[in-house]
Order: sequence, then C-alpha cells, then structure tokens
Amino acid sequence: MINASDGARDGPSGTIKIIGIGQSLRGDDAAGLAAVHLWKQIYQAGNMHADVQVELTELPGLGLLSLLEGSRVAILVDAMHSNSKAGTVRVLTESQLEAFTTGAGSAHGWGVAETLLLGRKLMSSSLPGTLILIGIEAGQLNLGETLSPQVKSVLPDVARLIEQSLNIGPHPE
Amino acid sequence: MNQDIHIPALARVEGEGSLTIRLKDGAINDILLNIYEPPRFFEGFLNGRYYQDVPDITARICGICPVAYQMSSVQALEAALQVTISPEVRLLRQLLYCAEYIESHALHIYLLQAPDLVGYESALSLAADAPELVKQGLHMKKIGNDLLKTIGGRSVHPVNTCVGGFYRWPAVDAIHAMVPELEWARQASIDTAKWAATLNYPDFEQDYEFVALSRLDEYAIYDGYIVSSKGKRTPPEEFEKHYLETHVERSNALHSHTVQNGTYFVGPLARLNLNFKQLRPIARQTAKDIGLKLPLRNPYKGLIARAIELVHSCDLAIELATDYQPQGPSYKEIKLHPGEGFGVSEAPRGLLYHRYVVDEQGLIRFARITPPTAQNFAQMESDLWALAPTVVNLPQEEASLSFEHLLRSYDPCISCATHFLNLHIDQE
Repeated sequence: MINASDGARDGPSGTIKIIGIGQSLRGDDAAGLAAVHLWKQIYQAGNMHADVQVELTELPGLGLLSLLEGSRVAILVDAMHSNSKAGTVRVLTESQLEAFTTGAGSAHGWGVAETLLLGRKLMSSSLPGTLILIGIEAGQLNLGETLSPQVKSVLPDVARLIEQSLNIGPHPE
Repeated sequence: MNQDIHIPALARVEGEGSLTIRLKDGAINDILLNIYEPPRFFEGFLNGRYYQDVPDITARICGICPVAYQMSSVQALEAALQVTISPEVRLLRQLLYCAEYIESHALHIYLLQAPDLVGYESALSLAADAPELVKQGLHMKKIGNDLLKTIGGRSVHPVNTCVGGFYRWPAVDAIHAMVPELEWARQASIDTAKWAATLNYPDFEQDYEFVALSRLDEYAIYDGYIVSSKGKRTPPEEFEKHYLETHVERSNALHSHTVQNGTYFVGPLARLNLNFKQLRPIARQTAKDIGLKLPLRNPYKGLIARAIELVHSCDLAIELATDYQPQGPSYKEIKLHPGEGFGVSEAPRGLLYHRYVVDEQGLIRFARITPPTAQNFAQMESDLWALAPTVVNLPQEEASLSFEHLLRSYDPCISCATHFLNLHIDQE
C-alpha cells in the first residue's frame, strides 16, 4: 500500500511528474519506459490532466534533478536489481533510499539513488515534497533484446500502481 | 600495499569497468584493466539498419556524449551518400556540440574528478562541505543540457539530428533566450579555470604522443585533419591505416595503438596542446591569466584543459546562439546509392571515428566505431604501470585510491548503457 505521507517533505507547489527511466536498447532495462507508456495508453488516452507531466528518459544521470525541479509530486518508474525474481515490483518512498547501493552499478556513477541524495543536499526545496519510486526487477539486460516475458506480464500492474499513486495526497484540482 | 587490489566496479567512471593489480614478492606482477565496451555491440546491431536510424541509435551508446556519436555518424554517412550540408547546418551542429562540451566537462570537473583532487570520497561528501562549488557545477551542466534540449528536443539523447542536416530548425527565440545563461556560464568557466589552477595535482608526467583533430581556422571539434604531437598528419579516410585496434583477451574492449605499435593519448590535453592557437581569444587569455604552461603532460591536469575548453565552448556558443538565423531548408534531400564514408569528430573525451558502408537501399552493410576510451585504453594501462612503483608501498586503501584517481582523470567513457537501481536487501 502506498503511503504518501511517508518521507513527504515541503516542496514546490507545481505539477505531478511521472518519469519513466530506462535504456530502450537493453532488454528489461526499458521496463520503466514501457510501464509509463502503457499507463498513458490505458489511463490517459486523450484525457491527460493538465497538472500531470510525463517524461521518458534514458540515462538521465544528474539530469534527473532538472526533470524533478518544480514538481510537487514525482513518480519514478525504473528497472531495479534487488536479487528478486524478474518482474517483482516494489514501491518505495524516498526514505527507503538507504537500501540502495551506490557506485558504478548506476549509470555514469550517478544513478537514481545517488542523484536524489545529492539533490536533497543541494536543492531540496525545489525538489518534489513527495517522491515515489516504482521499481521493476530486471531479468536480462542484454543489448538489443526486448523485455522478458516476466517483466512484460507485470506492466499492467505497474500501470495500475502509477494511477493509484496519482490519487494519493492533494490531487490537482 | 601487501595484497592484490581488485576494484570490481570503478566508481565515478562513465560505465562499467574493473581493475585488478596483482602482486608477486612485493612487486607489481600484473595490471588488468577490464572495460566493457558496448560500441562493439552497436557495430553489429547497426548492420542491416536504415542509414537514417544510425544517428539516433549510436546516440544511445552514451548518456553523456550522445552528440559526439551523432556528429561522427552523420558526417560518415553524408560522405558515403555524397551529401554536402549547408553552412547553417554546420553552425548549428557546432552549437549542439558546445552544449555537449558544457554539460560533459562540468560533470567531470565538479562531480567526477574534483572530489579526488580536494580529498573527498565523492561529490556527495564534497557537497556537504562545499555546496556552492557543487551547485555551480550542476548549474553549468544544466545550461548545457538545456541548450541540448533546445536544439535536439531532449536533454539527454537529442533526436533532431539527421543525415543531411536537422529534421527541423529550432525556434530562433528559444536559441536566443539561452544567451544570458551562456554568458553566466562563460564567467563561471573563467572562475572554474582560476580555481582549477589552485588545486594540487599529483606529480606525474609522461612523454605522450597526443592525437587530435586540427584545423587552421578554428579549434577543431566538429571536424578536421588528424594530427599527432609526433608530426603525423592523417586524413580521416586513412585513420584505420595509422591507428590500429587489436583484441586483448582479458577485455571485450579493443586496444588501440599506432602503426608503429606505440600508445597514444586523445582528449582535452591532446586538443589543448595541439590546437592552443585556435582557441577563442578569451580562452587563451584565461590560460595566460592562470599561468598555464604548455605542453601539459600530466593526465590529472586534464581538469585544467577541460576548464579552458569550457571557456572556449561557452564563448563560441554565445556567438553562435546570438547569430542564429537559419535560412532555407534544414536538411538536404538524399539520393540513395551504395557508398562508403568516414567521419571523425572530437567527443569531450577525445577523437571519435566512424566508418560505414551503405548499400543501394540505404541499409548499413558495415559499421566501425572507434571511441576515445578504446584509443586511450593502452595508454591508461601504461600509465598504471608507471604509477605503480610510487604506490606499491602505500597502505592498501591508499594505493587503490591512487590507481582509481589516475583512471578517473582520463574521464573514461565506458558507455554503460545500464542504469538500474541496485538494491541490496538484508534478509533476516
């Protein structure tokens, strides 16, 4: 169950951002992109709320901070590596970031976890007060491959989680 | 140090790499640098693809230098298809390249290499003690990414570049609106160079052969002739005859060397040493003001070279953005025919070579991509061997850090192409 108040901070009063992160040419690494794309198809076809912005980004590194700036709620959807079964989905709040290891396992030394930590140190007031991470356990990350069947099969669940996440906290009028 | 060093994942290096130092009887016995190099995969992946897909596919090799991959690939394909781009397209491509230099150099200076030189474990810990310094780096990087987005449609992997030009001209107002931020970045770059000159760099100099593009009329980034500090001049189409690649068993990256079997060094030090006269006057003046003496033969001082190039790139970008007033179509129509073409440009990390063979349907039949890190690979290993005697008696952790610092100074771009969250969960 998503609890928006967990780890919520004061932040700007802007939009809600849904950010799919992934490398489209590398197997299950594209899970975040595919999930956000599916959510748009199912829940937002021709009906996008004005206060909701969608970003699909590959290897954003520190550029993630620019994407987050000015939004009051951000939902990040990304592939994850947690030694679980491929297709396992976890919903994490920012306060659970300590569980993420840092280092070169992340793109360019600046993965999502480290980037958020740096952002909180330097520019916390312009980052979203509420940040939700939806992680999808990756199976294969082979260059040139498509999503694995395990990851493909959970995409509708992730799309539903994204929609639920939008309905937490103060919803845009 | 009294035991082998194995660094399974090199932190703050662009991508995936590992380093193993083996000891025998208290002396270094072997140094194994292993770098995962996806461009080899992309060469195969491109085979059979339509030529116009190539710029956007190769851009995905790296999140930091996508423009370089686009610029080398479009030039190679334009040569293969005998297309001549308009002067306006060349100017806009130069501006796009400036954007990449600004974001890439700011990232490396402030967030990747500076922590080593000022004694911090990472930019995170540096940010705790010197937040304004790191904020300045982030702000500069953001300006580069914003300019990238204004021209290329996206801040990380721009999509507007095509063989023959650009899919569309960016809005004139949007480009002009970038000028005030670029002016701020130019001043910040000058301040960065002054600060860079005050840092303590390890005393380490080698007699390198520097290789970079060069032109008489401008500081060569977008295109040029290949020159070497040993006096060689090589046209792009003869690159593979003079700079060879060989497979090394322990790594899936190829090692480059000159035809005389020597190592060589590409990147900002090479460019600055070989092309100083072609820098913008304000960049030359900044170098003079900080007392810079060339040639620079210390790889750690690549940081200073990057700072000078930041001044140059911001100043050039201001001129190009101010004068931006595109005329006519944004791309040339292309008539398909079989052909082969070569393209070389200077990625922030050094010379990037592409070669393609295209068939009569416009499909890629052969691709060769030689990235800068592959060309520096043998030089990096050679430098590790040179550093080893001064490090071997240090405590283990300190020795390990010294090797890592040296490698990071090269700003190796190993093109990870993976970014997933690494989550460790302790099971009780």
